[in-house]
Amino acid sequence: MSTDASQAQVDGRQQPDADGPAPDHGLALAVRRETSSGRVFAAALVALVVTLLCVYALLESTLQAIGQPAWIIDPETASRFVAGLPGGANAGVLGLLGVVVAVVGVGFVLLAVLPGRPGRRVLPSQRIAVVLDDEVLASALARRARTAATVRPEQVTVVVSHGEAIVNVRPTSGVPVRAEDVLAAVEDELKRLRPEPYPLLRVRVAGTGVIGA
Amino acid sequence: MNGTPRVLNRMLVLIFGAVVTVLGVFMVLLAAVPAVGSWWGAWAQTGSLEAGRAFANTWIPGTRVSWLWILAMAFLVAVILLMIWWMSQQGTGRRDLVAWSTAGTEHGSAETGEVPGRVAIAASTVDQALRTALAPRRDLLGTSVAAVEFEGRIALRLRVVARQGADPLEIAREVERLVSGMDLLLGHGCPVLLHIASGTRARFSRAERVR
Repeated sequence: MSTDASQAQVDGRQQPDADGPAPDHGLALAVRRETSSGRVFAAALVALVVTLLCVYALLESTLQAIGQPAWIIDPETASRFVAGLPGGANAGVLGLLGVVVAVVGVGFVLLAVLPGRPGRRVLPSQRIAVVLDDEVLASALARRARTAATVRPEQVTVVVSHGEAIVNVRPTSGVPVRAEDVLAAVEDELKRLRPEPYPLLRVRVAGTGVIGA
Repeated sequence: MNGTPRVLNRMLVLIFGAVVTVLGVFMVLLAAVPAVGSWWGAWAQTGSLEAGRAFANTWIPGTRVSWLWILAMAFLVAVILLMIWWMSQQGTGRRDLVAWSTAGTEHGSAETGEVPGRVAIAASTVDQALRTALAPRRDLLGTSVAAVEFEGRIALRLRVVARQGADPLEIAREVERLVSGMDLLLGHGCPVLLHIASGTRARFSRAERVR
């Protein structure tokens, strides 16, 4: 059993020069759309909220127009309340509500402005355009790292984020794993797949081993 | 790859977010800064008086309903319809046909060996063909094919769910080979986008068989 709790880490090199002919699948724009987020959920939420508000305003206006009692508040009372605002309400509640509303608004603004990445990458190809989820890439790298380190699947975890791929290996107790070997194998796999954007590779071998694996 | 209006989505979400942010900040200022409160009180007083006068001056003869009010309600209805249209625009662009012959080519003659008529290839043909071809693969959990209109052309969107540890490059090569064969078979090549996904099914299914 290893008593050394420190972990070994080696980093891979940057992307090798891209080679091969340019793809002719004619879907460059579609690929760019696939690898960025369309904000469908936020859009649907905004549409729903605006629709509900409008329906409510219509309901209260109609109730007032046909001389029925208001459901929650009639338009005149509401506008009078808003006009005399800091007077009729608790300042603390109003301020707190304002903070919540402002935070929600800033959230929507950020959703609209930030690029939004759904965690997908492009594989080089000729006839067809290929897009793959980061999790598929991670599991392919994990399989290769597992064979290189000769450990069980549970002992390898791979985290793929936009810029980097981190391979964590927990070696079997008493069987040392060389981080350089794992790095070489996984880097070989990455070079074979050539995903775009190409992640920076990091391999971490934990200092403590797994017993009885 | 569909008809989702992405720029419009972002613009409308941005407008909504900006309006809500301004509203929230104004509420905070109203509660925290007395000067803003007094300014708002004075402004709202005159504003509501003028609005009341405007409504009173625009009554429809014989009733106590202002046509400004009716205008406002029409505006609300328009906004609701706009929002429904916007929601209906999300994820559109699916088509039933992959390819069809144009009107000019339907007059064939016996001399050239052509038969008069039109040919249309349904998207379900391609769907069935690709599904059947990919069914024996054990590293794929599911396949779905959709024909989508994109940039004025019909493109195929092929989504496969890969098992954990599957080799994505090999899947891509296989699909590329199948699509090339399909081009020959149908005599029509359309753009194909392959999306290798890892769905929830891949996460909870047994992975030992592949990796």
